[in-house]
Amino acid sequence: MENSVKMQKAAAIIIYIAVAFALVVLVICPIVSIFARSIITDGHLDWSNVAALFSDSEYFQTIGNSLLLGLSVTAVTTVVALPLAYIFSRTSFAKAKWMDVVFMIPFMTPPYISAMGWTRFLGRNGFLQQLLPFITNSQDFLYSFWGLTLIMTFNAFPFMFTLMKNAMLNVPSSLDEAGAVCGGGFFYRLRKIFAPMMLGNYAIAAILVFIRTIGEYGTPAVIGLQMSPAFYVFATSIQKYTTVAPINFGMSAMLSVVLTILCFALWLIQNHLTEKKTYKVVSGKGVRVSYKKMPLWGSILAIAYIVIVLLLAVGVPYFSVVATSLFKTVSGGLSADNLTFENYIELFESGGRGVNAILASLFLAVTSATIASILGTIICTFSRRRKNRLYKAPEAVGMLPEMLPAIVLVVGIMLFWNALYKVLPLYNTLGIMVVAYVAIFLPYSIQYVTSAYTQFSDSLPLAGRIMGGSKSYVFRRITFPLLLKGIVTGWMMIFIISFRELVTATLLSPTNTLVVSTYIWRQFEQGHSQLAMCMAVICLIITVGALLVVKVLTERKKR
Amino acid sequence: MNKAKRISAAAMSAAIALVGVAALAACGGNEDIAGKYTANDGTQVTSNEVTVYMPSPTDLDDDLKAGFEAAYPGMTVNLWTGTTGEITAKLESEAANPQADVIVLASWSDGLSMKNDGQIVSYQAANCDKMGEMMVDDDYMLYGTSASAVGVIYNTKSFPDGLDADWADFGTAEFADVAMEIPDPTKSGACKDFVAGFSTGIENGDSIMQSWIDNGLKNGGGNNPAIEAVKAGEYDVLIAGVDYNAYSAIEDGESIDFYYPESGTVINPRPAMIMKTAPHMDAAKLFMDYLLSEEAQELVASYYLIPGRSDVACEGRTSIDEIPTYNTDWTAMMAIASDKAQWIVDTIAGK
Repeated sequence: MENSVKMQKAAAIIIYIAVAFALVVLVICPIVSIFARSIITDGHLDWSNVAALFSDSEYFQTIGNSLLLGLSVTAVTTVVALPLAYIFSRTSFAKAKWMDVVFMIPFMTPPYISAMGWTRFLGRNGFLQQLLPFITNSQDFLYSFWGLTLIMTFNAFPFMFTLMKNAMLNVPSSLDEAGAVCGGGFFYRLRKIFAPMMLGNYAIAAILVFIRTIGEYGTPAVIGLQMSPAFYVFATSIQKYTTVAPINFGMSAMLSVVLTILCFALWLIQNHLTEKKTYKVVSGKGVRVSYKKMPLWGSILAIAYIVIVLLLAVGVPYFSVVATSLFKTVSGGLSADNLTFENYIELFESGGRGVNAILASLFLAVTSATIASILGTIICTFSRRRKNRLYKAPEAVGMLPEMLPAIVLVVGIMLFWNALYKVLPLYNTLGIMVVAYVAIFLPYSIQYVTSAYTQFSDSLPLAGRIMGGSKSYVFRRITFPLLLKGIVTGWMMIFIISFRELVTATLLSPTNTLVVSTYIWRQFEQGHSQLAMCMAVICLIITVGALLVVKVLTERKKR
Repeated sequence: MNKAKRISAAAMSAAIALVGVAALAACGGNEDIAGKYTANDGTQVTSNEVTVYMPSPTDLDDDLKAGFEAAYPGMTVNLWTGTTGEITAKLESEAANPQADVIVLASWSDGLSMKNDGQIVSYQAANCDKMGEMMVDDDYMLYGTSASAVGVIYNTKSFPDGLDADWADFGTAEFADVAMEIPDPTKSGACKDFVAGFSTGIENGDSIMQSWIDNGLKNGGGNNPAIEAVKAGEYDVLIAGVDYNAYSAIEDGESIDFYYPESGTVINPRPAMIMKTAPHMDAAKLFMDYLLSEEAQELVASYYLIPGRSDVACEGRTSIDEIPTYNTDWTAMMAIASDKAQWIVDTIAGK
C-alpha cells in the first residue's frame, strides 16, 4: 500500500515536470522572445518603444478604442446570450438539442468571412438595398461603432451561450422549487437564487468574450478601418506593425505587452470573483432539472426572440455567403439569371488543391485539439487538487495565450523556433503549426474543464477515496466522467476554431501547404470571391458534421 | 466511461491515420541532381530544392513552380505566397535563420531599399540582355520579371456613358457625391509606388491627393478587396487599382471598366531578387534563369502582367509603350515611399 502511494507520488511529479516543460516551450519561451524583442534592438537595450508608448496619443487612442469595444460587445453579448441560455436550459425548449448545433454556426464562421457578408448585405448597393430599394443609408450604420459592436456580438455570443447554458443545466430545480415553496416570486428567485449561483460562470464567460473581442483582427479590419475616422484597435495596430513595411516588431511587441498586462489584471479579478462566488451544485445528490412549462405568450415571445437572433447571427451573413457562392459575376447582383452551381464544380476540379487544403486543415484541427485537451485536463487537475501554489502555476501559464492576440504569440513562436532551428528544425513544417495551435488554443480546454470542475463538489472524489478507491481509480471512475462533457466541448471548440484559423496559417504555414483559411484568403486575393465563399460553405458543412457526430456520441453516453 | 474511452480512442486513431497520410504526402523525392544543371555564371547546381517567396497573383506562382519543376526534373520549388508586406515580415522574423533563396516583391522601391541594405546579391542571369528598359538595375540585382501599372477602375452601372476623368478631376466638386476608394498603399506595393511617384513626379501631386481625400476618398484595403467592392457597387470608382486585376475581372464578365488617366501613371516593375543569405545559392541562380526564360515570361503575360523581357509581347492588354507615364525618379521615390503611403492612410483615417 505504502509503496503504491509512493509510486503515485513519483508519477505525479514526473507528469508535473513534463507538463511544466511543455508549457515553458509552448508558451513562456515565445512570450519571452517577444518581451525581449520589445526592449532589445540588435543586442542592445533600447527603451525608445516604451518612450513612444507614453508620448504618442495614437497609442492611447488604440488602447481606449479596444477597451470601449470590448465593453460594449461584452454588454450586448450578455443581453443576447443570457435569455437564450435560460430558454435552452430551463424551459421546454431545452429538449431541442439540435438547436445547439445551429447556435454554434456563428462560431464556425471565420470572422473575416462574416464581416465580408455583412458589408455585402448592408453596404452601399448591397443586398438589403437591392431587395428594399427605399433603404439608402444602411452603410452609415454598418460603418459605425454600434454596427461594429453588433457584428462582433453575433460572432462572439456562442461562447457565452454555451458556457452559461451548460452551467444553468447543472443547477438542480430543487433549489428553485424550495424558493417557490417558501413564497418567492419568479423574478425574486431569479435574482436571489439563480443569479448568484451563475456569477462565477458568468465572470468566466464575460472575460472570454471581452478578451476575444479586444484581440480580434478580422472584423475591425473589415469594418473599423472603413469608419471615419478609422477605428484602430490593438489587433489592427499590431498587425500593421508586424506585416506592413516598415516592420516594427519592437512596437508591436510593446503593444502586446500592454495588452498582456491589461488582460492579466482582468483575469485576476475574475479569479477572485470565482473563488468567492462559486457554488458547488453537482454533488452526490441526483440532479433533477424540471423544465418550466411556459404560457403560450411566453412560448411565442421565446420563439420570436430565437428567430430574430438566428436571423442576425446566421441568416444575414450566410445569405450573403451562399448568394455570392452562386453568382456568375459579383456585379450581376441578386437576379435569377446570375445564379450558377459552376463555382462549386470548379472548386473540386481545380487540381485537387481545395481537397488537399481540407485534408491539411482536418489533420491540424484533430491533432492540436487532442493534444491541447489532454494537456488542459492535466493542468486543471493539478490546479484543482493541490493547494500548493506551485501546482496552480501551470494553469496561469496555460491561460496566457488567451490574453494575447494570436498574431503576437505567432510572431513569438516564429522568433523562438528560428533561434532553435539548428537544434530542432521544426520551423517550416506542419509540426510548427501544431505547436502554435496547441499553444494558442490551450486556454479553451482549460476554461471548459475549469468550468466543469467549479461545479462539482470535492465531496464526490473524497467519497470515492473513503470507499478505498486509489487516486488514479477515483480520477478514472469519478472525476474524469464528470469532466468529460467539459473536455469534449473544449475539444470541439478547438477543433472548430483551428479548422478555420487564418492569422497563424498565413504566417506559419510551411511552403507548398495550403489550409482551408489560406485557400479562402488566396481566392479573395485572386479576385475569385465566389470560390472563396464556396469554400466557406463547405467548411461550414464539415464543421457542422463533425459537431453532430460528437453530439450524438456524447448524448448517447448520458443514457 | 466505456463510451468516453471509445471516443478518445476514435479521435486518437483518426489523428494517427491523418499523421500517416501527411507523412506520406511529405515524402518527396531525394533525387541526386549533381552535375545535371549549370546556372548561367557556370555554377554547378547541387541543391535539389529552392525556396521562393512571391506575391499574388498566386495562380501564376503555382504555374511558375510547376513550369520550373518540369523544365528541371529532380528540382523542387518550396513556394510561399503572401503580400509584399507579409514577405518582408517573414524575412525579418527569419533573419537569424534565413530560409528564402529568391524573393519577388510587388514594389520596386521596396526592392531598392533591400539593395541599399545589402540584403541581395548581383547575378547576371541568362537572357538578362533581353530585359526591357528599366526592368533591371545597373548592378543586376533587381530583375523586374513582371510589371504592372495602376489606373482607374469604375463600375459601368454607375457610369453608363463611360468615364475618362483625369487624376485632378476626382478632387473637384463634380465627384463630391461619387463613392471613391484607393487601395491601402501600405499593403499594395503597386499603389505605394504610384503614390510616391505622384508626389515626386507631378506638380501639385500632394495637393491633388489631398483634394481626393477632401472629396471623401476611402481606404479600400488590399488590391483585391478594393476591386471586389467596385464590382459589388459599394464604390463607384477605384483610384490607383492595378491593371492586371481589372483585365481578369473584365474577362470574367464583371460590369467594370478600366483606363489610364491622360496625365500618366507609374509602371512598376516587380523585382525578383536573390537573397545574400540564400541557403541554396546555386539553385537560386537556376531559378532566376528560369524566371527570365521565354516560357516563364509567357506565363507572366498570360496573367495580364507586363513581361519583363522586351521580346515577349503583352497578351490582351495595353502594351508597355502605350501606357502614358509621368516622370519617375526611383531614387527620390524610394526615399519618400513609405512615409507617403503612411500619410495617405493616416489622412484618410482622419488623424
